[in-house]
Amino acid sequence: MAPVTEFKLVRAGDFALVTIDNGEDWTKPTFFGEQALESLDRLLGELEGADYRAAVITGKPFFFAAGADITEFPDITRDRAIEGARAGHELFGRLRALPFPTVAAINGACLGGGVELALHCTARTVSTAVRHFAFPEVFLGLFPAWGGTQLLPRLVGPETAIKVIVSNPLRQNRMLTGSQVAELGIADRLLEPVEFVDESLVFASELAAQPLERPAPDWSEAETLFRRARTNVDDTVHGAAPAPYTALDLIEGAETWTVEEGYSRERDAIGELLPGPQAQASIYAFGLVEQRAKKHPARPTVTPVRVAKVGVVGAGLMARQIATLFLRRLELPIVIRDVKQQIVDEALADIRAEVDGQVAKGRYDEGKGRFLASLVSGRTDYEGFADCDLVLEAVFEELELKKQVFAELEEVVGDECVLATNTSALSITDMAADLRHPERVVGMHFFNPVALMPLLEVVRAADTNDVALATVWDIGEKLRKRPILVNDAPGFVVNRILTRMTRVIMDAVEHGTPVDEVDEAVMSLGMPMAPSVLLQMVGPRVANHVLERMHDAFPERFPLSPALAALADGGEPVIVDDSPRTREQIVEDVLDAVADEIHLLLEEGVVAEAADVDQGLLLGAGWPFFLGGITKHLDQTGRSERLFGTTFAGMHTGAPV
Amino acid sequence: MQRREVVFVDGVRTAFGRAGPQGMFWKTRADDMAVKVVRELLRRNPEIPPERIGDVIYAATAQVGDQGLTLGRDVALLAGLPQTVPGFAIDRMCAGALTAVTAGAGEIAYGAADIVLAGGVEHMGHHPMGDDVDFNPRFVAERLVDPTAVTMGSTAENLHDRFPQITKDDADAFAVRSQQRATAAWSNGVMRDTVVPMSVFTEDGWQIAERDEFLRPDTTLEALASLRTPFRAGGRVTAGNSAGLTDGATACFLAAEETAAELGLEPKMRLVGFAFAGVEPELMGIGPIPATKRVLERAGLTLDDVGLFELNEPFAVQVLTWCDGLGVDPEDARLNPYGGAIACGHPLAATGVRLMAQLAYGFGERPDVRYGLTGLCVGMGMGAALLWENHGARH
Repeated sequence: MAPVTEFKLVRAGDFALVTIDNGEDWTKPTFFGEQALESLDRLLGELEGADYRAAVITGKPFFFAAGADITEFPDITRDRAIEGARAGHELFGRLRALPFPTVAAINGACLGGGVELALHCTARTVSTAVRHFAFPEVFLGLFPAWGGTQLLPRLVGPETAIKVIVSNPLRQNRMLTGSQVAELGIADRLLEPVEFVDESLVFASELAAQPLERPAPDWSEAETLFRRARTNVDDTVHGAAPAPYTALDLIEGAETWTVEEGYSRERDAIGELLPGPQAQASIYAFGLVEQRAKKHPARPTVTPVRVAKVGVVGAGLMARQIATLFLRRLELPIVIRDVKQQIVDEALADIRAEVDGQVAKGRYDEGKGRFLASLVSGRTDYEGFADCDLVLEAVFEELELKKQVFAELEEVVGDECVLATNTSALSITDMAADLRHPERVVGMHFFNPVALMPLLEVVRAADTNDVALATVWDIGEKLRKRPILVNDAPGFVVNRILTRMTRVIMDAVEHGTPVDEVDEAVMSLGMPMAPSVLLQMVGPRVANHVLERMHDAFPERFPLSPALAALADGGEPVIVDDSPRTREQIVEDVLDAVADEIHLLLEEGVVAEAADVDQGLLLGAGWPFFLGGITKHLDQTGRSERLFGTTFAGMHTGAPV
Repeated sequence: MQRREVVFVDGVRTAFGRAGPQGMFWKTRADDMAVKVVRELLRRNPEIPPERIGDVIYAATAQVGDQGLTLGRDVALLAGLPQTVPGFAIDRMCAGALTAVTAGAGEIAYGAADIVLAGGVEHMGHHPMGDDVDFNPRFVAERLVDPTAVTMGSTAENLHDRFPQITKDDADAFAVRSQQRATAAWSNGVMRDTVVPMSVFTEDGWQIAERDEFLRPDTTLEALASLRTPFRAGGRVTAGNSAGLTDGATACFLAAEETAAELGLEPKMRLVGFAFAGVEPELMGIGPIPATKRVLERAGLTLDDVGLFELNEPFAVQVLTWCDGLGVDPEDARLNPYGGAIACGHPLAATGVRLMAQLAYGFGERPDVRYGLTGLCVGMGMGAALLWENHGARH
C-alpha cells in the first residue's frame, strides 16, 4: 500500500500552517493521488471560511511534493485523464482564489504537480538545500496539466517557462536547484534550510502586510523564442513525440488566453496525450529505469567478494575510462598493466589529468586529489596483481589474446579473485574454457562513454558462478551503473540489436539510398542520433569488427557489409545495387529486424524478459523513453503480435513463443 | 594577570515540551533545538561578531545520539558559526547549563575568551534518564549510596522523611503557586522575552512550539490532592508537585565586562561568585543549601542582600527544604517570581540558563534589587548556586 498524502493544517497565531505529509520519511515521495486530492479539498474547505492573515504550505522534512501519482497513469482512458486534470484545476484554482495570501515554502524535492501547487500560491520561498525542482512531464511524454503551462509563463515569462517545461526535461530531465529557482524568479525568497519554516512564516507575515511587486513577464520576443524552441525540439525528437510541441503551444497560448481558457486547453490536450502511445511508453520506461532497475529481479543474492584492490589489463582508451571510473567511485588501489611502458605512462597521465580536472572544478580538494592520484599505478608485468580481488581485462578484441591474458593472470592472482572481461562480442565461455578456474570469469560490459552511460551488461558464461556474478553486479552498482543479467551470447544484448539495425541501414546504403535519407528515416522514429553520426562516434572499424564477430555467429542475419568494410578502410561506402529504399521501407525493415532479434534473444534465453532488452536500449544506447526502449512500441503498434502472435510483454525465456 | 569580570549578556530558551511521543518535540532533534536558540541569540545580539565567540559550551546529561558528537562543536557548526569557533560538551546533570556558564566564566576571567556561548539541551523523550547508563554494581554491593539515590522521585520522598515538618499539603500549595505565577508570567513580558518559538515537525505536520506544555493555569489544591504518588504507596510526591520529564534547550552569551563595553552591549548582570557542593546522594535535593551558604559567605553577603531567587523546582519539597534550611518564607515574592519548573518543566542540563534568563529579566523589572541568585540541586547529591549582581541598575 502506497502511503496516502494528507494536507495537515494547524493554526500558528494568525497564520495557517499546512504540511503536505504522507507520514513517511523523505525516501517515500509525497504524491498527489486521488485521496490526496480529497484531503486538499477538505483543507480548502477549512481555509475558505477562515480568517487567517496568510497561509504557508510546506512539505514534510526534506520533501515538498512529487506531484501526480504516476501509478494511476498506465492504461488510463481519455475521460479519466481529463477528469484528473479537471480535479487539479478546480482545487488549485480554489487555492489561488483564497481571500488571503498563500506562500508555498519549498523545503525539498518539488516536482510536477508539486510545482503547480506552488505556482497557484501567491508567493514562494525556496530552501538553498533544494536539489530537485522540475517539471519532468515532457520527459515522460506529458506536459504539466494542472495549470503549469499557464501559470509559469504568467509568472516568469515565456523564455523561462520554455526552459523549465520543455528544454530541461529534454536534456536528460535536468532539474533546478533552490538558488536557480530563486534566480529565475519562480521563488520570491531564497532561504537557508536551518530555520526554513520559521523564516517562511516571517515572509508570509510581510506578504500579508505588503503585497509583492513583480515585473510583468516579457512577451516581446515571443515569436522568436517559440520558433527557436520548436527547432530545438525538432532536433531532439524529430517530430516523433508530441508532448514537447503540445507544451510549447500551451505556453504560447498563455499570452492571450484567460487562465480558465488555458486550463480547458490543458484538459483537451492531456486527454489526447496521456492515453497515447508515447506517454504510455514513457511511463513504462520510467518504471523500468527508476524502479525495476534499482531492485532488479536478477540481482544476485549471494555475498559478493569484498573488493579492496582492482587490476585492469590493457591501457587503451576504454581501459582508461574504466580505470578512472573505478578510481572515482570506489577510491581503491588500481593497478594497470599493458605491454608497452609508453602506453602505461600515457594512461596514468590521462587518469591523473582527469583527477586534476575534478580538483580544478572544485569537486575534490587538493588532498583528496593527491590521495586518488596516489592510488593508481601501472607496469608492463603483473607485479601488484597478486592481491587484486577483481581484475578486468580490456585488451584488444581478439580471443587468443584475451585467453592468454587470463592464463597469465591465473598464475598470479589468488583463488578468490574474480576475472572480468569487457569484451563486446567475443564468447566469454570460450575465453574461460582452458582456465583452471573458469567459474570465476564473468563479463562486465560497459558502454561508451563509460562515465555517462548507466548500463552495465553483467554476462554469465557457461561456468560462471554466483559469487563472480554477485561481485561484478555489486561493483557495478557501486560504480552507479544499472546492470542487466545476460547469458553469454555473441554481442550480448545491446550490441547485437544495434548491429542488426546497422546491418539493415547499411543494406539501404548499399542499395543506393542516400545517407541523408537513411539518417532521416531512422531519426523519424525518434532515435537520438543520426546513424551516420553514431557510426563516426563508434568508429567504422570497431563497428565492422563487431559485425564480423556477429557474422561468425549468425551469418544469415548478419551478412558482411561491403559498405561498412569500405568505410572501415577509410573509403567511401560501396553501392552494390541501385535500388534506393524509401524512408517508410527503411523504418519497416529496421523495426522488423530489431523485433526479430529481440524475439531470438528471448527465445535463446539470453535475457529473462523483454524488460531487460528495453533497459539495455534505454540506458546503454540512449533510445528514447517515448518508444519505451523499443518493445513497448513494437507491442503498441501491433508489430510483435503480427510477427510472433504474441506481445513482448507476454514473452519470457523458456516460454513457448 | 588581573581576573576579568564576567557579565551575562542575554539568554533564551525554547518552549519546554512534554517528553515522549505525545510531546511537541518528539520528532525534533535535540541538537536542532540547540541550534534554534543559538541562532536566535545571534540574531538578538547583532553587535557580537560571531568570530569573536571564544568557545561554545553545551551541556547535556545524555551525551549520545542527537546529543552526542561533542555538542558544543556540533551545534556551533550546525548553527552556521565560523569554523574558527571551537566548542565542547559538558555534563553535571541538572546543573549542566549552569556549569557551562561557570566554565565559560572561567575562560573569560582567565582571558582565554572574550565571549562565550553557553547553554544546555535535554531531550528527555529521546533520552530517558539513566537510559544508557551502566551503574557500577559497587554502588549497591558496597552500599556506597542508598539505592533510592538513582531515582530522583525517591530522593524527593526521602526529603519528606528527613524534614517531616514539610507536608504534602505544603508541597501542593507551593505547586499551585508556581502554576499561578507562571500563568501570570506568560501574560506579562518575561516569557515573550526569553522563549523562542520554533517550528517543529509532528504527526499533525509542522506546528509552532511556543508555549510550555506543562503550564496548567487551572491547577487547584483539590485536583492535586487526588493525584497518584508513583514513587511509593502513600507517598507525597506526585506529578502535580514535581516537574515533568521535559524536552528543551537554552543558550546565553557571556562576555568579559570590558568586551561588552567595547562592543556596546548592554549586559544584564555580573557574575559575583559561584559554589558547588556535595551532599548525601539520596538527599540530593538539599544540595543548594550548602552551595547558597558558601557563595554568600565568600561574597561577604547575607541572604537579606539578595532580592531575587531563581531556583529550580524539580520537586516542590526540594524548594521547601531550601526555604527551611535558609529561613526563607516559601511565599516570599523574591522566590521564583515567574513560577518554576513545576509549571514549565525541567529539561535537566538545559535548566540553568532558563533560571539566569529569568533572573536577568527580573533585574530589569526591579532596578532596586542589587543581587540575585540562581541555584539548583543535582542528581547523585550535589547543589549549585550562582550569585549575580544587577548590572543594568548600576548600584
